[in-house]
Amino acid sequence: MAPSSRRSVSAAARRNEERLEEKHLVLLRDGRTLIGFLRSIDQFANLVLHQTVERIHVGKKYGDIPRGIFVVRGENVVLLGEIDLEKESDTLLQQVSIEEILEEQRVELQAKQESEKLKVQALKERGLAVPRADTLDEY
Amino acid sequence: MFRYPSLEECPLDEEEDGFQALGEEDEDIDQFNDDTFGAGAVDDDWQEAHERLAELEEKPVGSGQQAAPSSEDAELLGEPEDALAERLTRLVIESELEDPAIMRAVHTRGSGAQTMALNTSIWDGPSVLQRIRTPLLSQEMPSVSVLDYALPQRPPQAREEERDPSERALPRRSSSPIIGSPPVRAVPIGTPPKQAAMPNFNQQILCPKPVHIRATMQQRYSAPYGERMSPNQLCNVPNSSLLGHPFPTSVSPVLTHLQRAQLLGGAQAGRISPSQFARVSGLVGSPLPSVNPKLLQGRVGQMMAPTGGFRAFFGAGPAPPSQPQPPPGPVPHLQGLRPQPFRPDTTHLHPQHRRLLHQRQQQNRNQHRGLNGSVGDRGSHRGSHQEQTRKDPYANLMLQREKDWVSKIQMMQLQSTDPYLDDYYYQNYFQKLEKLSAAEEDGPKKERTKLITPQVAKLEHTYKPVQFEGSLGKLTVSSVNNPRKMIDAVVTSRGEDDETKEKQVRDKRRQTLVTIEKTYSLLLDVEDYERRYLLSLEGERPALMGERKQKICNMYDNLRGRAPGQERPSDDHFMQIMCIRKGKRLVARIIPFLSPEQAADLLLATARNLPFLIKKDAQDEVLPCLLRPFSHVLYHLPLGTVTSLVQQLTNLPQSAAAPATTNLHLATVLQNKFGLSLLYLVLSRGEELQSTDGGTELMQDNQWTELMLLAARELLRVPPAALPKPVPPPSNLLSLFSRYVDQQKLNLLQTKLQ
Repeated sequence: MAPSSRRSVSAAARRNEERLEEKHLVLLRDGRTLIGFLRSIDQFANLVLHQTVERIHVGKKYGDIPRGIFVVRGENVVLLGEIDLEKESDTLLQQVSIEEILEEQRVELQAKQESEKLKVQALKERGLAVPRADTLDEY
Repeated sequence: MFRYPSLEECPLDEEEDGFQALGEEDEDIDQFNDDTFGAGAVDDDWQEAHERLAELEEKPVGSGQQAAPSSEDAELLGEPEDALAERLTRLVIESELEDPAIMRAVHTRGSGAQTMALNTSIWDGPSVLQRIRTPLLSQEMPSVSVLDYALPQRPPQAREEERDPSERALPRRSSSPIIGSPPVRAVPIGTPPKQAAMPNFNQQILCPKPVHIRATMQQRYSAPYGERMSPNQLCNVPNSSLLGHPFPTSVSPVLTHLQRAQLLGGAQAGRISPSQFARVSGLVGSPLPSVNPKLLQGRVGQMMAPTGGFRAFFGAGPAPPSQPQPPPGPVPHLQGLRPQPFRPDTTHLHPQHRRLLHQRQQQNRNQHRGLNGSVGDRGSHRGSHQEQTRKDPYANLMLQREKDWVSKIQMMQLQSTDPYLDDYYYQNYFQKLEKLSAAEEDGPKKERTKLITPQVAKLEHTYKPVQFEGSLGKLTVSSVNNPRKMIDAVVTSRGEDDETKEKQVRDKRRQTLVTIEKTYSLLLDVEDYERRYLLSLEGERPALMGERKQKICNMYDNLRGRAPGQERPSDDHFMQIMCIRKGKRLVARIIPFLSPEQAADLLLATARNLPFLIKKDAQDEVLPCLLRPFSHVLYHLPLGTVTSLVQQLTNLPQSAAAPATTNLHLATVLQNKFGLSLLYLVLSRGEELQSTDGGTELMQDNQWTELMLLAARELLRVPPAALPKPVPPPSNLLSLFSRYVDQQKLNLLQTKLQ
């Protein structure tokens, strides 16, 4: 992918606008992935997504949750791209049901939390304290 | 509002006034209620309503059409309470439709219909909304177009009716009273201007004109999507065909009968904005007088009604009865129009980039073509096109105009006076690509397309806070443009005595870092001079060269330390710089600009202190970056310098030292990659000189011989495992050594050198 300079980004944005009726993938700042038909966009990158599906990825599996219409404020968009329908079909990922993926997500989150806890514990024993990043801090 | 906490508190004399005021306010509110929020606010022109009703009475078909789809839709809705509500509303509407008198009454007492419109939320299906709209639609001008309101033909009443609910729906925008804030816009910022952006983009002001566009939004949410297809098709079809748009290419510049008729119908109703009209220029003039505007409007309105959507509308026959066939005149005219670039390309995309984009567009067009099947006759065009649109009735919610407007804004942000400064990585990337493709081709070289950006004058917008004349002092109002100073931070420098040793060291390092940074800026400037030279005028060039020279001198002085006039006893300053990784890289980049003497000076200094540097470089391992510039320097060095270089490297004093003692200096040098490589370079340079000069000079030079012997001895002594791989493989060293060393040692050396 070309380096993300302003020019290439804007050129890509222009192309995206010309083809507003193909599926788009949006990555939000809070980590959610939305897939839907991009119906409208403005200069702040506020988006209107139609027939949106929130896709949760855990490992090699993913699950889709249908969400309907989304209006996303531009500042929360990390990236937006068009989905190549041909390439979408040859993916290595396996689609599972919503319940399953949510379960997997919960398990993953739990595992992360436990390892985090262990780390903090170990540091505490050594007299070190790492300031925990604020949950809203994405950087 | 006067709200006293208790009756006793309000002063007696004002009591009455207060109460009166309150009462008045209440009265006022009550009075205004109907006018602002009720039907009284509707400014209806009963005459026009009557005319339209008269029209309608000629066509009772309309109501029949409306009744049928509504019943279907009711079944679609699952929820019981909603269904009930809808059935009730339907009853009301249908009964109203039959009686013109009632319709008129509804019209005047518009609140009924409008509150219905309000009560249903936007989440109701399009069918519900459409049902509510139909009474209005059948009465008024079908107001499906979202394009243009400026045309005087449209009755103002219709617009006001629609505007009313929209005003109710949307809260008024509050204006900010703060001075210094940007001006308030009457429209939400995200909407494009009403007039299409035709003229030169550079000159156009970015902010949209404050035009009342609320009616747009109202229509958009109330008009069912199936309906909206038609006007948008009007816009998008000619647009796409003319723009060379990556639209499915089944929609060729040849419009189908239907689409042309639609265009006409749209043109009749004045729905195409003047700008788009201009593009579909052929169709403007002729058909107008031939058709009765009102009839057409009424008919088109009815045809907008069905919920079957786009296809049903067109499925009703090749051309609905009312729409006239356009005279053959405009058709060839339209066909004659070649795809014009609607978007004047002021964006300065690198030509390589543009090529890539076109390639991708072509690919996608081919894909679309493949999807749509044959690019054959019109019938198939229409069919495939309709199929696509049928699959996606929500397509084209954004007009092409709006899309272009947004991309225009984004592209305008790309304009810059100095692309190499603003978009450095972009430029470099495409240059690299070009080089790669040129390298691969290796044959007939394509002309190197260079991006020459027209110099757009950057307008400096300096913000000056509002100042009143005759006022004492400045405004205390602060806004985003003139922020208030929060903290008075004062720089205090500490005295020399208090500092401890550590602090001194730290400060020294900091000073070195500052020097490096300053020198780096100088270096970047100097490197840029070449480009500036090309762009500048003839007269300016000597001045530029002078500046450049001056900067180079400054750089050198920075590297070497203060006081250029004096003797430089210590390499200390230079060493400090060389200890820092960035400093080494800086030196490597500066050396090509220096004069031979200066460069040699640096080289000598480096050689002299090489073990120290090697030690410091252990972690970074950046020294090898100096090899290339050093080798370039070496090629220009005379023999004497070379000799002294070797001397420095081996650290022999002028008189021969005791050969038995291990030469630590040389040992360290040899065991380091950089050191070894440098030594080899120097030696090979000497060898070159020897071979070219005839060698008489060298032979007589004892120093050289001694040094060579020493070097050879050391090389032999160091175990081969410790010898790192030198960067430039030594080619002529063997011949060099052969002069001084006997055969046995030579063989050993040979193995070591490999």
